[in-house]
Amino acid sequence: MTAKRIIPCLDVKWGRVVKGVKFLDLKDKGDPVELASRYEEEGADEIVFLDITASVEGRKTLFNVVRDTANVLSIPLTVGGGLRTLEDISQAFSAGADKVSINTAAVEDKSLIARASKEFGSQSIVVAVDAKRVGDKYVVFIRSGMYNTGLDVRYWVKTVEELGAGEILLTSIDRDGTRLGYDIELTKLVTSLVKVPVIASGGAGKLEDFYEVLYFGGADAALAAGVFHDGVIRIYELKKYLRSRGIEVRL
Amino acid sequence: MKALVVNYSVGNIFSISSALKRVGFDVSVDDVNDLVGRDYDLIVFPGVGSFSTVARYVNSNTEILNELRGRGTYFLGICIGMHIMFEYGLEGGFNRGLGWFRGYVDLIRANVKLPHIGWDVVYVDYVDEVNEVIANQYVYFIHSYVAYTVDESYNTYSYYGIKFPALITKGNVVATQFHPEKSGKVGIKFLENLKRWLRR
Repeated sequence: MTAKRIIPCLDVKWGRVVKGVKFLDLKDKGDPVELASRYEEEGADEIVFLDITASVEGRKTLFNVVRDTANVLSIPLTVGGGLRTLEDISQAFSAGADKVSINTAAVEDKSLIARASKEFGSQSIVVAVDAKRVGDKYVVFIRSGMYNTGLDVRYWVKTVEELGAGEILLTSIDRDGTRLGYDIELTKLVTSLVKVPVIASGGAGKLEDFYEVLYFGGADAALAAGVFHDGVIRIYELKKYLRSRGIEVRL
Repeated sequence: MKALVVNYSVGNIFSISSALKRVGFDVSVDDVNDLVGRDYDLIVFPGVGSFSTVARYVNSNTEILNELRGRGTYFLGICIGMHIMFEYGLEGGFNRGLGWFRGYVDLIRANVKLPHIGWDVVYVDYVDEVNEVIANQYVYFIHSYVAYTVDESYNTYSYYGIKFPALITKGNVVATQFHPEKSGKVGIKFLENLKRWLRR
């Protein structure tokens, strides 16, 4: 069996790692290159960089950070945030990204997913889906969680899979930064619908949360940020715990 | 030792170049044009792009590649770079490969999630100089296609719904389905070991 992956996420703004709650109230958490290499040392299976500056200047800064990080890292690096065209994506790969994550641009122009996966191979195209519960269903939000697309998550994840997404990065906006645990219901909904790997994100607070989303949620990977940046959870300890509970992890 | 990372102008060749540098190779990144006369110890086909795109590139350079192989230059193919060394592939339609290994490349035919992304253990039937550092270790895979070999000559493999070759060594050609440049410490050790093996 493929080992379940633990993925620290670095939200990068103007070249620094920041973290907020429900996508707001951002605080500085340190230097991305230092954090990324520390996490690799501690046993991270991949690293995700999300540029939340989402501007042209911000992206240049991000690509420099990606280059510096890719130089020291020997585990996969996914880069996302503000990638809107094949040219943007190509630049991210040239800077050293192994995979790219697209979100807003994928909703605004579905053909980008198909074009990108054809050009670079679907295994390197991650589609990020930011979901929020509205009434009795989950709805897709874009533009850093500010804009309600009205798209049902069930419809959208099937669509991106058909278009060639190689992986889905599923974030619960309601849980982001709250440390109340992952949204298991949302994760289960998506993992039971699609055949591509799913990375669950949003809400990690304690060791059990990871176990639950990987076991009950059926996620292939669990992503977290704040609990790692603040040292609340150490990746090595987390993986030992998961193994003790029967989850296969790389130790 | 000089390594050439072949640039087929698609995807990230930064990771493999930087990993090779880290273990002490003097790395150039280029296409295969003008290869004759330049002495590379190792030519690397990186694991980026699809079979059809890489085949287009490789097939226009078959003669020189075969000549170099015949002269004893070492080759390392990673993922798609391994696939291209087989007789043909079915990713993006039928395309011929180099035919250095007997067999073909097709989707992983099993009821599993695709792409196969993540860390799996490599098993070996018997330890040799190339596979010793990855035996029973986790390495990183990211692919939907695998090689279906004709002669089953490989002794280093992994499982994902089916058994598939993780590493093939044949003369001066080494090919990996996993990505050593993304496999953490184990991957770096594999490349270090490969460098020692080239030098022997």
